Amino acid sequence: MGCFFSKKSKRKSPEKEERAPTTTSAETASTGNAVPLGNNSEEAPKQYSWDKREKVDPKDYMLTGLKDVTVGRLPGKLNGQQFVIQECENCNIYVFDHSATITIDDCVNCRIVLGPVKGSVFFRDCKDIKCVVACQQFRTRDCKKMEVFLCCATQPIIESSTGMKFGCFQYYYPELAFHFKDAGLSIFNNNWSNIHDFTPVSGETNWSLMPEDSPVLDFVPAPDPESDFKSVRVSADPARSIVPLTKGGRYKDSEESCLFVFFAGEYTTANARKLIDEATAKGFVLIQTKEVSMRPEDVKRVFQRDADDLTEWITKGPVIALEMNGDGVVEACKNIASEVFSGTKVSAARSRPDPYGFTLRFRRCHIY
Amino acid sequence: SGEVPGLLSILRRLKQAPEQEVRLLLLGLDNAGKTTVLKQLAAEDISHITPTQGFNIKSVQSAGFKLNVWDIGGQRKIRPYWRNYFENTDVLIYVIDSSDRKRFEETSLELAELLEEETLATVPLLIFANKQDLMTAAPASELAESLRLHTIRDRMWQVQACSALTAEGIQDGMTWVCRNIKFRKKP
Repeated sequence: MGCFFSKKSKRKSPEKEERAPTTTSAETASTGNAVPLGNNSEEAPKQYSWDKREKVDPKDYMLTGLKDVTVGRLPGKLNGQQFVIQECENCNIYVFDHSATITIDDCVNCRIVLGPVKGSVFFRDCKDIKCVVACQQFRTRDCKKMEVFLCCATQPIIESSTGMKFGCFQYYYPELAFHFKDAGLSIFNNNWSNIHDFTPVSGETNWSLMPEDSPVLDFVPAPDPESDFKSVRVSADPARSIVPLTKGGRYKDSEESCLFVFFAGEYTTANARKLIDEATAKGFVLIQTKEVSMRPEDVKRVFQRDADDLTEWITKGPVIALEMNGDGVVEACKNIASEVFSGTKVSAARSRPDPYGFTLRFRRCHIY
Repeated sequence: SGEVPGLLSILRRLKQAPEQEVRLLLLGLDNAGKTTVLKQLAAEDISHITPTQGFNIKSVQSAGFKLNVWDIGGQRKIRPYWRNYFENTDVLIYVIDSSDRKRFEETSLELAELLEEETLATVPLLIFANKQDLMTAAPASELAESLRLHTIRDRMWQVQACSALTAEGIQDGMTWVCRNIKFRKKP
């Protein structure tokens, strides 16, 4: 590229010479005028992939100004594209597909299901909303009275919003598991209960957690059997939820918790779900889950031992970690593990976890 | 080895700079994609990005030269804190969600206020017209027109269409940045 400094010194300072003629511009679709894209460019504007793709009508990706209707998108009809919902009132909105990002503006008294969103879900100026949402980021601004059954990969945030209530995502339809994969979201990464409020008010709380066992379909009903969405076999049965139900930030019943780590393999997800089902059937509580790549230093910290024999296992892929809680949970999980998972690589240990994540102190460590 | 290829390649282009520290400032509304841009510059994973509560910074150093890129949270409530980061900025990179038409006016107002700031006077401006991968994204020309960028008289500026998600257009924007860094004399 040559010496940057000498290149610069060849150019006179902007104040001294008359402005060099604009070398890049583009025509606007609306007016056809040539619009400058810069005042100091050296190259003609390039063509990018979005310049070459087929032009679509943005309206196909928007729901605007609807009232008293049931609308949305059936599986396969959105296919990872963006979606925009605005100025709807008293609507039941079902987006039964994965998408890139969704914004919801100026909606009142709506019930909304948003299938897995690869990026952000952003509610602005909405009121009286009940929704089921799965996304990487969850954001609100200037919203009032919302009840959200949420699966969010990162910390949800609210701003200038009040009366916000959150519960754990609890939903099923046949294609939902595939939509999670398509959106790049893990069913085990769900930060639904720890909300960051950018505008906290002293003496008040703008958000709270919904009571456990809140029946989702009382808030967001299944689609009307007469509607276009009758073909989608929806269920909010906790046992069928694609996302495991976690207690999250709610008060723990017992001092005793157990960390289970499933190393990557062909049936890791199924095995993790099996353990959750077996343990919850015995009355234990799932506090939190995580799907994360472990490094050798993590192994040492979590299992309090050297990583050597586990290195091969942690490099195969991300681990799935579960925190189960309840008196006697460690013993019970050991028994479940030996009965159900003989031959599978599983690790369990007694712990007193801190509430902020998998920073656990272990007294004993068993590898199965 | 902790190498950040994108940022280091920028730094190498600056080797002959009279100053030894270059400062880039990433601003824009919340949800514009600023942190995704930062992560792409650092060649890091972008599939798990949290809304920024304070700021993020990436630093690279090479042979005595240092490049700092600051990414500041853009929620309305914390925009008053942007001014804490203005000092010694060599290039302002303003990121816009080109698909969020409802907020074009809001982002236009914020940008206009930034261009009035004394501490940012004459600092070159790169505008990333981001999220071009999305269906409702306005093209860079439409944004340039509605932001009335042609009225900017006091600095170098450029609109660069990009998709931070796929990294398309990012390097082209950074090429302009490298060519237009306004070196500030240290006191």
